Amino acid sequence: MRILAIETSTSACAAALEVDGVVTVEVVEGERRHTETLAPAIASLLEGAGLRPRDLERVVVDRGPGLFTGLRVGLATAQALADATGAALVGVSSLELLARGARDAGATGTLLAVVDARRGEVFVQGFDLATTTPLDEPRVARPEEVATRVRALPSCILAGDGARRYRDLLVDLPGALVLDLAVPPVAAALTLGRDRAPGAVAPLYLREADAVINFATRERS
Amino acid sequence: MRVLGIETSCDETAAAVVESGWRVASSVVESSLEIHRDYGGVVPELAGRAHLTTIGPVVRRALEGAGLDPHDPAIDAVAVTSGPGLIGSLLVGLSAAKAYALAWERPLVAVNHLEGHLFAPLLEAPALRFPLLTLLASGGHTMLVLQRSAGEHEVLGETIDDAAGEAYDKIARWLGLGYPGGPPIDRLAREGDAGALRLPASMLGPGLDFSFSGLKTAVVRQVGARPDLGVADVAASFQAAVVEQLTRKLAGALERYEVAGLALAGGVAANGQLREAVVALAADRGLEAHLPSREMCTDNAAMIAAAGLAHAARGDYAPLDLPADPGWSLEAVH
Ligand SMILES: [Zn+2]
Repeated sequence: MRILAIETSTSACAAALEVDGVVTVEVVEGERRHTETLAPAIASLLEGAGLRPRDLERVVVDRGPGLFTGLRVGLATAQALADATGAALVGVSSLELLARGARDAGATGTLLAVVDARRGEVFVQGFDLATTTPLDEPRVARPEEVATRVRALPSCILAGDGARRYRDLLVDLPGALVLDLAVPPVAAALTLGRDRAPGAVAPLYLREADAVINFATRERS
Repeated sequence: MRVLGIETSCDETAAAVVESGWRVASSVVESSLEIHRDYGGVVPELAGRAHLTTIGPVVRRALEGAGLDPHDPAIDAVAVTSGPGLIGSLLVGLSAAKAYALAWERPLVAVNHLEGHLFAPLLEAPALRFPLLTLLASGGHTMLVLQRSAGEHEVLGETIDDAAGEAYDKIARWLGLGYPGGPPIDRLAREGDAGALRLPASMLGPGLDFSFSGLKTAVVRQVGARPDLGVADVAASFQAAVVEQLTRKLAGALERYEVAGLALAGGVAANGQLREAVVALAADRGLEAHLPSREMCTDNAAMIAAAGLAHAARGDYAPLDLPADPGWSLEAVH
């Protein structure tokens, strides 16, 4: 199977290509320049594998939650690639990528995937690492709420750029272990997206646009 | 030669196919205007979200409308607006355009949105003669441009503050007429008395720049002292002042430059009173007037594909790491 995976939900930009079991990865870290770096990264992966774009059978994309503009660059790219080549399109979430990445790295038990949502909030979801099954729905929370949840668990692994950003709040809690895993690992998207049913992929924003939030507040007051 | 154009710089998601001879094979435009109406202006995040949902189907319809195979279309390049515009909107079209170019193994062409507007008149009058004096007026821009040939242009003057369309939106919001402001003011102005308010004639000097920001202040101040005044009278007085300034600058440019015709471009070019004034000016000077249809005035991708065609014909292609340039000025385009 020839699968391309795209990851743009954090400030990093990454792509991975699997051709008959051989995986190559391109990661451009911490620049928030997804528009400039993503297409060249994909072109270079394809060239390195001696593949033409039309040879792709499947495109897997991280649909969030994460940086809104980054997500749109990733999704617009993935959609257009799939439409143009006829490849199947599959979406995975940034939170499940973190869980799968932690599991692939050998972590076990309960994991909280925590993605930075800016403005003092995070996107969070719990997973059972034995099966990478979600324990709840992904949602927006304040870091203090995450800390409260960690306290209620006998032990807990934390991953994601949100866990890293609020490390001081989380790292000393009893039973807590903050992994050095900030960017959802793009190679995990290849694994998770391989067998999933393809179809239209919608971004997982989990939060309204600011104007809508402000407008609703104004209407009420 | 045949080019696919993609445009997402503001609230219109558009794709079109244009062929040599300025023939429009297809043109599809979806607007997210309805989503923004309640907020009194385009909300960037909402526009970005709408573009992402719409871009794929719009491109698909443009290809099918031109009778092209969506998996291997017979096109020579993919042209895309990379500026100026809202960054979050530009990024969606730019990312999609790069992916299509990459997937179909075709070159990418970067198009300046304003240069795109300048190509719109050609699409409806392929035989139009140059040099051409064009008034480009929209919600974001107001400028006078001398076009010596397709793609060869010089900016003669531009607004030093608000764009003409922006002035319409501000007055309309103040009058409670909703967003966008152009259509209701144009409609009301027909019923009002244009002499009801004595508005200052801005930018009377010989220069070719425009200014509209003082107009709203003047309207607000004078209407405060005239509670008897109807909305139609205010609309008529305001519109007369705008059209007067626009046509006076056009006339001023005609005194300095020898041209074969006059053209309008941009959303404000849909204004009925402005169109009448420009037709009259052209007739008076014995010039051709090129007034694009409403669809060609407002943002569309056919004009982007047309500009792209001109660049592609010169081999002027863009790399895949092309960034969006939200402040890209027309003067910087060659
Ligand atoms: Zn425009």
